[in-house]
Amino acid sequence: MKKFSLVTVRKRNAMLLLLFTAIFTIITLKLFYLDVIMGDRLFAWALDQRRGAIPILADRGDILDRNLTPLAVSMSTDAVYAIPAEVEDVAKAAADLAPLLDLDYDWLVERLSRKQRMVWLKLRVDPDTAKKVRELKLDGIDITVRPQRFYPHDQLAAHVIGFAGIENQGLEGLEKQYEQYLKGIDGMLLQERDATGRVIPGAKEQRIAPLDGHDLVLTIDHVIQYIAERELARAVVETQSEAGMILLVQPQTGEILASAVYPTFNPNDYQAVPAEYRRNRIFTDIYEPGSTFKVVTGAAALETGVVTLDETFVDPVHLNKWGGWVNCWRSQGHGVQTFVEATENSCNPVFAILAADRLGPKNFYKYITGFGFGEKTGIDFPGERSGLVPKPGEIKHGELLQWANIGFGQGVAVTALQMAMMVSAIANKGKLMKPRLVKEIRDRNGRVVESFQPEMVRQVISEATAMDFAKVMRSVVVNGSGARGEVPGYRVAGKTGTAQIPAATGGYSDDRVASFIGFAPVDDPQIAGIVVLYKIGVRPAYGGTWAAPVFSAVVGDALEYLGVERLFEEKIPVTPGQVFVPNVVNLPKEEALEMLRKARLEASVTGSGQFVEQQFPKPGAEVPPGTKVHLAFFSDEGDAEMVVVPDVRGTSLRDAAVELGRVGLVIVVEGSGMAKEQVPPPGTLVPKGERVYVKFALPQ
Amino acid sequence: MAARIMKRPDALIFAVTMAILAIGIVMVFSASYTTANLERGDAFYFIKRQIAWAAIGLCFMLFAMRMDYRFWRPLAWPGFLLSLVLLAAVLMVGDEAMGAQRRLVFGPIGVQPSEIAKLAMVNFLAAYLTAKRHEIGKFTTGFLFPLATVLLITLLVILEPDLGTSIAIMGIAMLMFFAAGTPMRYLLLLASGAIPAVLVLIKVAPYRLRRLTAFINPWQDPLDSGWNIIQSLLAVGSGGLFGLGLGESRQKFHYLPEQHTDFIFAVLAEELGFIGGFFLILLFLTLAWRGYRAALRAPDLYGCLLASGITTMIVLQAALNIAVVIALVPATGITLPLVSSGGSSLSITLAGIGVLLNISAAGAKPGEA
Repeated sequence: MKKFSLVTVRKRNAMLLLLFTAIFTIITLKLFYLDVIMGDRLFAWALDQRRGAIPILADRGDILDRNLTPLAVSMSTDAVYAIPAEVEDVAKAAADLAPLLDLDYDWLVERLSRKQRMVWLKLRVDPDTAKKVRELKLDGIDITVRPQRFYPHDQLAAHVIGFAGIENQGLEGLEKQYEQYLKGIDGMLLQERDATGRVIPGAKEQRIAPLDGHDLVLTIDHVIQYIAERELARAVVETQSEAGMILLVQPQTGEILASAVYPTFNPNDYQAVPAEYRRNRIFTDIYEPGSTFKVVTGAAALETGVVTLDETFVDPVHLNKWGGWVNCWRSQGHGVQTFVEATENSCNPVFAILAADRLGPKNFYKYITGFGFGEKTGIDFPGERSGLVPKPGEIKHGELLQWANIGFGQGVAVTALQMAMMVSAIANKGKLMKPRLVKEIRDRNGRVVESFQPEMVRQVISEATAMDFAKVMRSVVVNGSGARGEVPGYRVAGKTGTAQIPAATGGYSDDRVASFIGFAPVDDPQIAGIVVLYKIGVRPAYGGTWAAPVFSAVVGDALEYLGVERLFEEKIPVTPGQVFVPNVVNLPKEEALEMLRKARLEASVTGSGQFVEQQFPKPGAEVPPGTKVHLAFFSDEGDAEMVVVPDVRGTSLRDAAVELGRVGLVIVVEGSGMAKEQVPPPGTLVPKGERVYVKFALPQ
Repeated sequence: MAARIMKRPDALIFAVTMAILAIGIVMVFSASYTTANLERGDAFYFIKRQIAWAAIGLCFMLFAMRMDYRFWRPLAWPGFLLSLVLLAAVLMVGDEAMGAQRRLVFGPIGVQPSEIAKLAMVNFLAAYLTAKRHEIGKFTTGFLFPLATVLLITLLVILEPDLGTSIAIMGIAMLMFFAAGTPMRYLLLLASGAIPAVLVLIKVAPYRLRRLTAFINPWQDPLDSGWNIIQSLLAVGSGGLFGLGLGESRQKFHYLPEQHTDFIFAVLAEELGFIGGFFLILLFLTLAWRGYRAALRAPDLYGCLLASGITTMIVLQAALNIAVVIALVPATGITLPLVSSGGSSLSITLAGIGVLLNISAAGAKPGEA
């Protein structure tokens, strides 16, 4: 057994000192590592975890029309938030706030108990509620000001502007497209907070000021936009169409003056309507254009010299060529006609021949794409479609028939925007412009940050051809199917179109698209554009009958507003005492008779129907007064069935239109509000397709 | 005998003690005033207590310094038995806080019997091992019996539960056996017995295992079990070389747990940096040096073992505490002697230093002043 030894005790005590020296050395090394080597990194981590940023929200930029009228602005609204760490009594706070803010009690309890620096309880509260919340004097509950989007004109230009969501982020339209300019950069307040969320006393505060968003100055003119929307709404309701669009362009710059879509919505309450009401069909939807596309065929044919203005054609009526049939829309055909007259008459076989035989697929394709079809225009708007244009040589058999059909607008899909830019190019001496919705971006102080200049895409056809074809289009309005597009003194040039809508099952459905493209005044174009009535509900569904008068009404008011002078061409008859035959094509029967009566002419009516299909002598012919003008009418589709006029008095505009449409009658709207009077009166027996005039007034 | 009265205690031990004590008072104030203000409505709540206890402790120290250390030798057994009674009492009538019964409350004063037991055990082992010095190599009387008494105390402390203090008590006892010359094979046997003991302790309270895994990888669960370690490291590291400045700790705002007791060194390192931390470590190392020096110079074996035990008691706890804060060892829950807020620990430690000073004086060579 080991004996006690004082030496051992002394040795061991000395070893204890060595042991602790070693331990403290290791500790010092680790401390040095943490403080000196890792110090900066650990300090940054520590700061990071303590720092909570309270956002200082930037103001979203305004959206202004070309005359700086605000279309979308930021307004400050009160928002209720909580700092959960400072809420003393969660149950009481939740119970007090639930009824006041119209929120669920359990939802509030959950929010107030979150381990977050800050939680929003309710955005956009009215000042009265905000005051009541303040009066509650609850710990940790407070009000702050948040910017909120407001659209002072409600639905005006809604489809262009789009809207911003509750978090003030652009969701659709220009609000989305220009999000990075509009939103600005939020600032923040950096405060050091303790682990329970309270501000550390005496700690440094850092305020990073927000950068407010930029303002957009649009090319849209809110007055013209208003005119377009007003007329479009009226037309869509009257024609019981599923939807309608109007696009107006300044031809020389490509700037869009108005873009109206119906049905529309109020961006202040965008959730009230389904998403399909909110998309801007003008840019995002494609359709078969029909006869308006003859402008492309005709301009290309003139440009390449495969046709001259006065070359005559005999309408073959039914043309069996290229392995299939091409039929004239008029069963009797158009007889012998010049190229100009064939355009006035919108004669399909002539344009089929121009496209398939004279131009040929490759040449025709060159001009189709030259006018911008088949590719995006590059407009500053989200979701633009490029349309569908077949490529030459794509199909082996029946290719010529395909291109013959494209010659009159079948078998090709376009956007209304592309059509409007194409017709603008005709108006702009053959120069295709890039469409624009935004003119300028300005900062908060009105300083221009970015300015967008007109951009020419290409010279599609020569200036001479463009001006020649403009005259052809003028002739369509003066002498042909576009009569209703005319505005007295403003010399409208245009082209009508009536297209069938391809059925989902193949072939074509019974649905129709009635459209009109044009510009005015023909010799100094100020406005070019398009009117489309999609899935028009009335028959006959011709563009010349329904879309042309809308174009006339909109462009007439718009040019008047722009201060364009009216110029009346005083035509003097060669033989004194004789009169000119007016153009009554596509006019309703009564209006046509009235016009002839005023021109001191007699009418000879054959057939039944509501709208004039053809007249003889032709418009513009010089005849002695009292000459009989023969009028042929569109035959009503189906028999002239007699129906009883329903009573629509006391109903809304939409209901009245639907009710009349149900029995096959057409509404003509006067005024707004609730239906007050109707002509013919209820109970009258009238032929189907008859027009019923309904006067609306606001309830007293 | 007259010569001993005239001899003077080790001035360096005294100076180092006062320096650590002063640092402690400043740090307790800095670390506690915000939470004290928030939770007790009095920013000076902890610091007033700390100063009061320091005063009491200094009285103990001065008394012990003047009292011949041999006075304590016959009190070994009564002290041991009193410790058992107090430890048993605290289990029955102790004040419960945070799921543990660690304090006996007499009016405004709270006493932690485990702190008294620590010092009593040091005195008991010093006296016992001196008495049985010739049986030191004998397994039963030289090792097993004193170990049993230590284990009894440890067991009562574990039951509070207070794992940190029990580990400290076991550690101090081990090093005292070592200092007394207990054969190494016994100590290795005891050390190997620690492994099953740890397993049992984890089995009883699984949270101890989470502490251990959190030590290995604190980022696995940074908001819960890893929180303490991460916040402590962030605080220490934030200090850099010179610290953020006195009173400038940010981590003390509810990020650090027990910032004025177990993690006070983190606050010190954050505010005073590596320089401040290193200075405090040097002070403790100086205390170790002068303490073991006093043991080596003590006139008798009892004085030697007592001085060695008291020194071990202080520096072992200091090393363990700092090692936890800088994540060298898993969290145990040991306070930093003379610095952490806590009356019993402070006053008992000062009392122990008083004894140490007396031994140093007794061992001083006549030439030394």
